[in-house]
Amino acid sequence: MEKVDERYQAALLEYVTAPKEVALLGGYDLGRGALGDGLGVLDMASIHSRAVAAALDRPLDHEERARLLNAQTAFFMEALSPFEMAHRAFRDANTMLRRLNDMLEGQAKRIAYALHSEAGQLLASVHFALAEAGRELPPEKTEQLGKVREVLTEIEERLRNLSHELRPPVLEDLGLSAALALLAQSVYSRFGLPVIVSVSLKGDLPAPIENTIYRVAQEALTNAARHAEADQAEIHLRQVQQKIICSVRDDGVGFDDSAAFKKNRPGLGLTEIKERVGALGGVVRLGPNKNCGTNLTIEIPLDM
Amino acid sequence: MRREVRVTIGSPADIVEARQHGRELAILAGFSICDSTLITTAISEMSRNILEYANNGEVVISLLKNGIKSGVKIVVSDQGPGIADIPQVMQDGYSSRKGMGIGLPGTKRLMDEFEIRSRIGSGTTVTMKKWNRWKR
Repeated sequence: MEKVDERYQAALLEYVTAPKEVALLGGYDLGRGALGDGLGVLDMASIHSRAVAAALDRPLDHEERARLLNAQTAFFMEALSPFEMAHRAFRDANTMLRRLNDMLEGQAKRIAYALHSEAGQLLASVHFALAEAGRELPPEKTEQLGKVREVLTEIEERLRNLSHELRPPVLEDLGLSAALALLAQSVYSRFGLPVIVSVSLKGDLPAPIENTIYRVAQEALTNAARHAEADQAEIHLRQVQQKIICSVRDDGVGFDDSAAFKKNRPGLGLTEIKERVGALGGVVRLGPNKNCGTNLTIEIPLDM
Repeated sequence: MRREVRVTIGSPADIVEARQHGRELAILAGFSICDSTLITTAISEMSRNILEYANNGEVVISLLKNGIKSGVKIVVSDQGPGIADIPQVMQDGYSSRKGMGIGLPGTKRLMDEFEIRSRIGSGTTVTMKKWNRWKR
């Protein structure tokens, strides 16, 4: 950073003394290098203001001072121009991420429909065929058939749960609150983990935010139930000004760091949560709960 | 002031010259200091590519006029090795450092129109335009 400071000061002075294009290119190259080295816009702003302060810290007459103040703007813009490019790239990437999100959402909807409706109908017709077959079988064989029916019923149940998790119809029919309550219920019946849900919102949320909150809650609760050995979990969803804040807390074994969290849940997990929330302009905080356990909080702005 | 400037690119000093002319024409076309800086940036990025991949080439900068609209057109060409897979080089992070969004894809975002033509063994031409919007 000190090296950049020195070079920036020298380049700015060169431009003030002789306002030529070559000095501006110097400023641009410095900015481009700084961007590559991972410096941010605020770093650039402070490097620039230190350089201006250093340049002013000399005996200057009125005209020199005016020239300096004029020249420093053009120089600063050059140094920031690579950051403008990076900023535009970031905006584009965000749009693409959101599009990808919509696409995945659509995919999940289709899979949920196929599981719920199509597979459901096929299974129903198998039930029907089994009942038909049962009528023609000797009584000692119908017992076997009964076992097949039991398995079939369980398969139906699991498909229903799966389709529910992918895209709960309640999210569309009744809204987020009811969907979260149902999610809590299903976590309790599948894993025996009781979940308290509290929701305080000022109205319906945009569908992408609802979907994301629902998915995040689903991920966090599954993690709590499967890996964190939690005895209890809570979902708090509220609106604070123009922000939606949702935290999922549990009293489980917690986590060592985010890497451990990721390792326990290969594939998606925290990475998916961060991507989904990030695509909506929000942030994810993963930290320890007050006493022990995990607190996963997401904040999503409403005005994106 | 000429309405079209041609600069041969063979050394970093030529980049300075191309930028200088680009900036002058941008201001002549009525662009703000901000937009003129971005146009100059586009010239830098593309000229830098010439030096890096083709050793030499040229930049032609001209004024555009379309009714009440004005703008600048920048044609950057070389007789270098050419680009085999254009969609690939237009991806962020392919050739620019660490996916910072600079280089070719970054330059495209600074301009209103951007077109690359390339043939393996005979070189690459990038044509880009930026229009001056009177009020943003």
